[in-house]
Amino acid sequence: MMIIEVEHLMKDFMVAKRETGLLGAMKSLVKREHIKKEAVKDISFSIEEGEMVGYIGPNGAGKSTTIKMLTGILVPSSGKVKVNGIVPYENRQKNAKNIGVVFGQRTQLWWDLPTIESFELLKEIYQVSNKRYKENMDTFTEILGLDEFLNTPVRQLSLGQRMRADIAASLLHDPPILFLDEPTIGLDVVAKEKMRTFIKEINNERKITVILTTHDMEDIEKLCERMILIDHGQKVYDGEMAVVKEKFGKNRILIVDLEESSHRLKVTGGEVFKEESSRFWIRFNRDAVSASELIAQITKTHNIKDLTVEEPEIESIISRIYQEGYQNLPETVKV
Amino acid sequence: MFRFRLYWTFTKKAFLRSAVYRFDVWSRLGSNLIFLLMWGSIWTALYAGREEAGGVSFEAMLTYIVVSQFLTGVNGAGTPLWDIQEKVRTGDISLELMRPFDVPLRYLFADFGSVAFYILTALLPLYTVLFIFMDLTLPDSWQTWVLFIISAFIGFLIRYCIEMSFGLLSFFLVETGGIVDIFYFAMSLLSGSVIPLWFFPGWLEKMALYLPFQGIYYIPNAIFIGEISGSAILLSLGIQLFWVGVCYLLLRLVWNRASHKVVVQGG
Repeated sequence: MMIIEVEHLMKDFMVAKRETGLLGAMKSLVKREHIKKEAVKDISFSIEEGEMVGYIGPNGAGKSTTIKMLTGILVPSSGKVKVNGIVPYENRQKNAKNIGVVFGQRTQLWWDLPTIESFELLKEIYQVSNKRYKENMDTFTEILGLDEFLNTPVRQLSLGQRMRADIAASLLHDPPILFLDEPTIGLDVVAKEKMRTFIKEINNERKITVILTTHDMEDIEKLCERMILIDHGQKVYDGEMAVVKEKFGKNRILIVDLEESSHRLKVTGGEVFKEESSRFWIRFNRDAVSASELIAQITKTHNIKDLTVEEPEIESIISRIYQEGYQNLPETVKV
Repeated sequence: MFRFRLYWTFTKKAFLRSAVYRFDVWSRLGSNLIFLLMWGSIWTALYAGREEAGGVSFEAMLTYIVVSQFLTGVNGAGTPLWDIQEKVRTGDISLELMRPFDVPLRYLFADFGSVAFYILTALLPLYTVLFIFMDLTLPDSWQTWVLFIISAFIGFLIRYCIEMSFGLLSFFLVETGGIVDIFYFAMSLLSGSVIPLWFFPGWLEKMALYLPFQGIYYIPNAIFIGEISGSAILLSLGIQLFWVGVCYLLLRLVWNRASHKVVVQGG
């Protein structure tokens, strides 16, 4: 069963155009021009119950806008959204009961009160039965070690503790769907690892559908079986992580240091994508050409001082998309 | 369906939260007392030893000021205007849209909690002492006390609706300094909180009587000191009820527009 369905989703905002100069300022006092900004252009995807999906893209790609439409606090300009059978913006409060949301950058807990008070408040907000509340609290306390800070005011918690409390808070009402917006941001390595283990566990054991936005490539690699990559409001990739890994597992990077500095280095079968005085980075597909062939080519015209071959991780491809945009990538590296 | 238990939980949690900020309670009480002394001395000087001015005895006037400061304390213990604006600015209020509750009501009930804490721990003890040791006019019948409490409560609701509406205007305006000024002007002068309406020049009094702000301080206060009495009390309560209805609709309108803006334009 598809728990989330998104079809031709679009969202544009009207942004006030600011005119420069004194005259412009006077003009905008009376009449202001607006420009249409398309945050989400045309996105379609569906997510099956129990999936864990990474929703990835550079800043401003339209991630948060999509998530906001899924939570119901933003109405799409056009297109369809359905979350657990409900159109979120039409039935915001009903949708709210089906979703749990964690924002790494902000907390849903009451800042000045002991952590436990926020949990009790959420229990009332979501009408969780006493029995279920106790069961959930026991489980979360055990896995997340909540007991060490339940009576501490939220403002005194460390970031790691606060995130643990926040994620527990988002799950108290047993939502079938969980949205995680940068859940590991700012955490130390150990805390990150704990958070990932927990996310994995609830996904496995409770069959909660998880949608994760993050800039942390380790989060994606370790957690997601599927990745939806968006850029400039459009979906550029949607598929299994394994495929991405295999595809880019074939890519290698050859780094050569030449004796003399050279302006230009051309190799057939490889692509020079970066150069710094006498050092060149060449990307090539392992299946199409071997490293030794490339090296042989280069030694014909240049003297090689040093060389290394690197296996690129997903991180490098994604960071390339972030910097250059998916459309600008050469065909050989597109997924 | 009104989920009283849910909103009541907000009241309880807000009560607890107020207890965390004890210093805030004391400092607010301190400034309340300072303003009481200030207005007390100003009115003492204005009466200049006379027993009566404008048909109101000095004792009643002094009582008016004391009650007014008490009500200022009550009304000031809720979520203040700047805090609402801050919550709009940081997006906290927008995010509450994804919760299964009504946001304006949730803040109202939380305010009940903070106000109750402030009344019980600070205002009531202080003002009980003041009433015992100062020569003040107390209502002679228990009915008047009850009517005063009802009227003060309606006044609180009027003030809440207006303050929340003004605060939510931050959704539409980048700079809200002007709005804030209008609000505080209306709250201090037009409400009769420091100068009773009967001392206003005719045109201003008329204006104030046609506005909702008198329902916050002037009406409950005038009931307390007996300036409004008999069947006039019911009329005044009727006026207050009318205004609380209007202000509630205003709040609903502003809130609907604001949440509409959030969901359409992203806040």
